[in-house]
Amino acid sequence: MKYGYYPGCSLEGISTEYDESMRALFAQLEVTIEDLPDWICCGTLAAPSISHLLGLATPLWNVARAQQAGYDQLIAPCSACLYHFKRAAKQVAEDPALRAEVEAVLELPLDAAPPTIHPLELLSADGFEARIRQSIQRDLSGLKVVCYYGCHISRPASVMQFDDPENPQSMDRLLGWVGVQTLDWPGKVDCCGAHFSMIKPSIVVDLCQRLFEAALEAGADAIVVACPMCHANLDTRQNEIAARLGQPLNMPVLYFSQVLGYALGLPSEKLGIKRHIVDPLPLLKCEVSKLKV
Amino acid sequence: MAFRDDIQAISGQNVNICFQCSKCSAGCPLADKMDLKPAQVMHSIRLGRADSVLNSRAIWLCLGCETCSARCPQQVEPAAAMEAARLLALQKGIKPSVREIGIYYRGFVDNMRLNGKIHDTSVAGITQLLTGQLIASLPLAWKLFVRGRVKLPPLPLGGGGYRRMYNRALAREREAR
Repeated sequence: MKYGYYPGCSLEGISTEYDESMRALFAQLEVTIEDLPDWICCGTLAAPSISHLLGLATPLWNVARAQQAGYDQLIAPCSACLYHFKRAAKQVAEDPALRAEVEAVLELPLDAAPPTIHPLELLSADGFEARIRQSIQRDLSGLKVVCYYGCHISRPASVMQFDDPENPQSMDRLLGWVGVQTLDWPGKVDCCGAHFSMIKPSIVVDLCQRLFEAALEAGADAIVVACPMCHANLDTRQNEIAARLGQPLNMPVLYFSQVLGYALGLPSEKLGIKRHIVDPLPLLKCEVSKLKV
Repeated sequence: MAFRDDIQAISGQNVNICFQCSKCSAGCPLADKMDLKPAQVMHSIRLGRADSVLNSRAIWLCLGCETCSARCPQQVEPAAAMEAARLLALQKGIKPSVREIGIYYRGFVDNMRLNGKIHDTSVAGITQLLTGQLIASLPLAWKLFVRGRVKLPPLPLGGGGYRRMYNRALAREREAR
């Protein structure tokens, strides 16, 4: 299998630790990835507000280049980018006239576009279980977390075609392989407020407050995420939420790639763990050292 | 009914089969902040009430989380209809009812035209400057900066290909109209 890798703008910007930990994890698991050449932003909700055709052509610019590069699959760690790729690809696959229009705009063919996938989909497949279980270097079996999937890992099912849209399990399964205890909780697929952090932060605080209340009630030590926007919102808004709750919060928010990488023995610097606002290292170290005693 | 047909053509959604069960409104994380709830937006589209939909706050507050689309028993996607309504509103010169969000979308695409990729700190900074939130956001920006998460904006040299594609897309749509 030839895997292309599309980091997306967030992973080159404020979510650089997701990119660092993803690349380190792939290297550790001997998954070879190649950066998609000449990639651009997926366009999110902004490009379709300018023009319908531009809204399709912007994400598909990247998919067309993945086809040109001959990838079997294009991996996108940002679930919002992934959603825009999959949605646009589905629309043109179902409508040949629309595909011809988009191809004319792109000046590239889309006749054999490779599927785009989330790294969770790749790594939670059965083939990786033995490899991951055999590579464990640090025991995290004392760590209790809730897995937060957010909006687009599996929703809507008609587009994403992966996992259960109301009760996804892929991240729970993957973290279970390295011994982490994942708790059931009601916040799994609720929205964090996404890009509104830049526009209407009070809405993000409202939505994230509900998530923290649910995570605390479940008894979690940390929240594990698989999307840069989920991470940014949960990690950066804890002061405001703590003030509303009337109690300190300081709950570490980790990417699944950081938890896996840490369990597989990667140094925390390679996983970008020191870049978070709420420092997760005391929790991770505490879990590991408890076992040594 | 031109408005309903326009929404259907852009979104690919058959709003006529919506039977108003309001599951979309029940699941929407922002329904409590919307003037029209998602089910009311769908009903208004069906009735051809362009003015109330295109001037609503609801279409701009939609986060695109897709909860409504995922749960619709009729497989209609209200989020796609909302997206089509945002496009129609801008095409008709209607100012976004939630001003900040209109500024953000415009600034986002303008930033894309510089380099193809966006520079996240610039998009956030410009949005916050134009919406009077810049000072309030500085403490967080500083925390991110010291953690190496704020990058310098790149020189705007990589956007030529994207700008040409942008122009081709808009020119084709003008011809088709």
